[in-house]
Amino acid sequence: MAELLRQALRIVAALLTAFGLTFLVILLAHQDPRTALSALAAGAFGSPYTLAETLTKAVPLLLTGLGVAIAFRARLWNIGGEGQFLVGALAASALGTSGLKSLPAFALIPVMLLAGTVAGALWAGLASWMRTARGVPEVISTIMLNFIAAQLLSYLLHGPMQEGTHAQPASEALPSAATLPVLWAGTTLHGGVLIALLFVGVVTIFLFRTRAGFALSVVGANPEAARVAGMDVARTRLTTMLWSGGLCGLAGGIELSGVVGTLYENYSPGYGFAAVAVALLGRLSPWGILASALFFGALNAGSGSMERSAGVSASLSYVLQAILLLVLLASQRVRWTPRRTVMNEST
Amino acid sequence: MPVLSLRGISKRFGTTPALNGVNFDLQPGEIHALLGENGAGKSTLMNVLCGRTQPSAGQIFLGDEPVQFTTSQDATRAGIGMVHQHFLLVPTFTVAENLALASQTRQSPLKEAAKMANRLGWIIPLNARIADLPVGTQQRVEILKALLGNARILLFDEPTAVLAPPEVQELFTVLRALKAEGRSLVFVSHKLNEVMALCDRVTVLRRGRNVETVAVSETNAAELAHQMVGDAVESAALESIRSVGPDKSLTPLLSVAHLSTVGGPDAVALRDITFAVQAGETLGFAGVDGNGQAELAAVLTGLRAKSAGRIVLRGQDISRLSPRDLERLGIAFIPPDRHTEGLALTLSIADNLTLEASNLPRFRRGPGGIFLDRAGLRAFAAQLAADFDIRANDLTQSARSLSGGNQQKIVIARALWRKPDILVAVSPTRGLDIAATRYVHARLRQRQAEGGATVLISTELEEIIALSTQIAVLYEGKIIGIMPPETPREMLGRMMGGQMQESGHG
Repeated sequence: MAELLRQALRIVAALLTAFGLTFLVILLAHQDPRTALSALAAGAFGSPYTLAETLTKAVPLLLTGLGVAIAFRARLWNIGGEGQFLVGALAASALGTSGLKSLPAFALIPVMLLAGTVAGALWAGLASWMRTARGVPEVISTIMLNFIAAQLLSYLLHGPMQEGTHAQPASEALPSAATLPVLWAGTTLHGGVLIALLFVGVVTIFLFRTRAGFALSVVGANPEAARVAGMDVARTRLTTMLWSGGLCGLAGGIELSGVVGTLYENYSPGYGFAAVAVALLGRLSPWGILASALFFGALNAGSGSMERSAGVSASLSYVLQAILLLVLLASQRVRWTPRRTVMNEST
Repeated sequence: MPVLSLRGISKRFGTTPALNGVNFDLQPGEIHALLGENGAGKSTLMNVLCGRTQPSAGQIFLGDEPVQFTTSQDATRAGIGMVHQHFLLVPTFTVAENLALASQTRQSPLKEAAKMANRLGWIIPLNARIADLPVGTQQRVEILKALLGNARILLFDEPTAVLAPPEVQELFTVLRALKAEGRSLVFVSHKLNEVMALCDRVTVLRRGRNVETVAVSETNAAELAHQMVGDAVESAALESIRSVGPDKSLTPLLSVAHLSTVGGPDAVALRDITFAVQAGETLGFAGVDGNGQAELAAVLTGLRAKSAGRIVLRGQDISRLSPRDLERLGIAFIPPDRHTEGLALTLSIADNLTLEASNLPRFRRGPGGIFLDRAGLRAFAAQLAADFDIRANDLTQSARSLSGGNQQKIVIARALWRKPDILVAVSPTRGLDIAATRYVHARLRQRQAEGGATVLISTELEEIIALSTQIAVLYEGKIIGIMPPETPREMLGRMMGGQMQESGHG
C-alpha cells in the first residue's frame, strides 16, 4: 500500500514538474500560460463534443499502450508499435474494400479488425523471429520495421491499393458497413472505445491469470532463471511479441474503421511512438495505462483548441508530452541508481 | 624493508567477511605468489591493492609510509600497476589508442611504451586493433599499460588463466626480466606448479585469512595444497548417514559414459567424462573453479549440448532431452548462482517458489490449461515456505528482500519438494552463513537417506568430503580420479591441482 502511494506521488510530482516546465516554455514563447492551459482544458473536457473527442483520441493510445507495455514487461523493447499499427490498418483496409465489402457490418467489422490484429502480430513476430534466429535485438528490428511499414504503405497507396480515380495517394474509402457505429450521436465517439476498454480487462487476465503471462513475467525478470526452471524462453518471447503487435495492429484497424475511413500516407500521427510514453506513464499496468491514455487523449484533443483560441501552437502539446516522458524517466533513474550501487557493494 | 605491506586488512561485503585481518609483505625485487582457492579472497585483496575497493579495516604501507587509495588512479600514481585477468582493453581501439587511454599524463605514452617493449624484446604492432591480436599479445599490451609511469610494483591477477602452455613459458621469462629490473611482482594463482616454478615466496589465503607466508624453496606442492584446502571443520555429524550407502547390486540410476562437449572462449570442454550414481549415493565433484563444473552441470540438466557420449537414466538415453523433460523424469537442479540462474529477484517469493509448479496439471485451468489457479499456487507456495523454513513476513514481497540463506532455501525447496530421483546440486551453500549451510546440508543428507541419488558439484572441498559417498576430481574438463571420501585431503588437493593419481577406483 505504501509502495502504491509512493508511486502515485511520484507520478503526480512528475506531472507537476512537466506542467511547470511547459508553463516556462509558453512564457518563453511570449504567450500567456494561463490562457493557453485553460484553452487546453476546455478543448479536452469543455463540452460533450470535446469530451467525446478526448475519448476517441484515447482509443488508439490505449490499445498501442497496452501492446508495448506487454512487451516491456517481458523486457522486450518493442519500439515498433507504429509499424504494427500501420500494417494493421493496411490489412483492415485491404479487407474492408475487397470483395468482402458486401458483407453485413456484424461480419465485416470483426473480419477487418481480426485481419488488422493478425497483421500487427505477424509484423512483431518477424522481429521476434529475427531475435531468435539471428540474435537481432528487438529494439533495432522493430524500429527498422516501422520504416518498412511506412514505405510499404506508401507503395501500396501509389499502386495496388490506390483509389479508383488515381487522383490521390489514398485508399478506397471504407463502405458504411465497415465503419464502427457512433455511440454518442453528434460526436465522434465510436464503438472502438468499448473494444479498447474490453482489452484492458483481457490484458489484465492475460498478464496475471494465465501461464503465458506468468512465463512472460519470469522471462522479463530473469531469462536465465526461466531457462533453468524449464521454461521455453524463445517461445515466451514470441508469444509476447505476437500479443504486443496484435494489440497495435488492432488499434490500427479500429482507428481506420472508427475514425479515418480512408488510408493515406501520413495515416498515423505517431500513435505507436506515443504508446511508449503512455505505457511508461501508466507504469506498465493495464489500469494505469487506461488513465495515462485518457490523459494523453485529452492533451491531443485540447491542443487544437489551444491553438485556435489562445494562439499557442498545437506542437506545444508534443513539447509537454516530451517533457513528461523525460521527467518520468528521470524520476525512475533517481530511484534505480542508488539501489543498484548498493547491490554491487553487497555481492 | 618491504616496498609494500598490508597490516590487518579486512573487507566486509554486507555481513560476509571477504578478507579478515590479512597481513602481507612485498620485498623489493621478488615475485610473491598469492595462492588460494576461489573465494579465498585473492581478487578482493588485489582490488584493495589497486584502489578499486577500500578496506573496512587495516592499513597499507608503501615503504614505511601509510597510504590510502580511494581510486585506482591513486594506486597508479603510487607506482602500482595491475595486469587484470580480464584485460581492460577497448577491443575496437588500436594498441596506441589503448595506451593513450591508460596514460596518466598528457604526453603521448608511445615512446615510453616502445622503449619498454624493446627492452623486453617484444614487437608490438602499435597500429593494430586489439581485437585482431592474439591473446598473448593483448596481454603484453596490458602489461605495457601497467608499466606506464614506470610502476615499481606490478600485480598479476591469474595471468596464466587465458594463456596456452608455450605462452605461459614466455610470460614467465618476461616476469623474471621485470624482476631483474628490480621491480616487485605479486603473482595471483591457484596453480601450484606455476607458483613452484616461478615465485620466490608464497602467501596462502584461505577464507579471507592468510594461512602462512613461506619461501618457495622451503615448501612443496603437497604442503601448499593442504594449506589451501584446510582441515575438516565438522565431519563427525554425517558418519551415521553415510552408512546408508549405495546398493551395489542395483544397476546405477544415472550413468554417464564418455561424455564430451565443445569448449569455447567462455566454456571449458568436457573430455570423456564417465561415472555412475546409484540410489542413496552422493557423487561429489571436487575441483578448482573453472575446470568444467559449470559445463558438467549444464549438460546433465539439458542446458548445454554434448558433442559425444551418453547420459542414461534408468536405461533411457536422456542426453538430448530439454530441461523440462528432464524435470518430468525426476532430475532436479540446484543452479550454482541463485541470483543469475536460480531466482527472478524482482518477482515475489510466491512466484519464485512456483516457477516449476505452475506447469503442473493440478494448477492449470481452462481449455488447454492456459489459465493458472492462482489461489492454489499461493497455498502451495505457503506450504513450501513452511516446509523449508523460509522466513518471510509476506510471500508477496520480492525475493530480493530476503537474506541470502532464505533465498537459497527457495532454490532448495523448488529442487527437493518433489523428491527427485536425481539431484544435481552446484555450490548449494555458496555465500551462506554457517546456520544456513547446516540447514542445506541436512536437507541434502535427508534426500540421500531417502534413496535419492545426488551429483554434488562444489569448489568447497569440505562440503564435498562432508556429503559425498564418492569423490570425483575434475581438472581441465576431465575426471582425473574417483576416490573414496576417506582419501586424505592433501591427495585430493594435489589432484585438484592437476597431479594425476594412479590409485583411482571406479
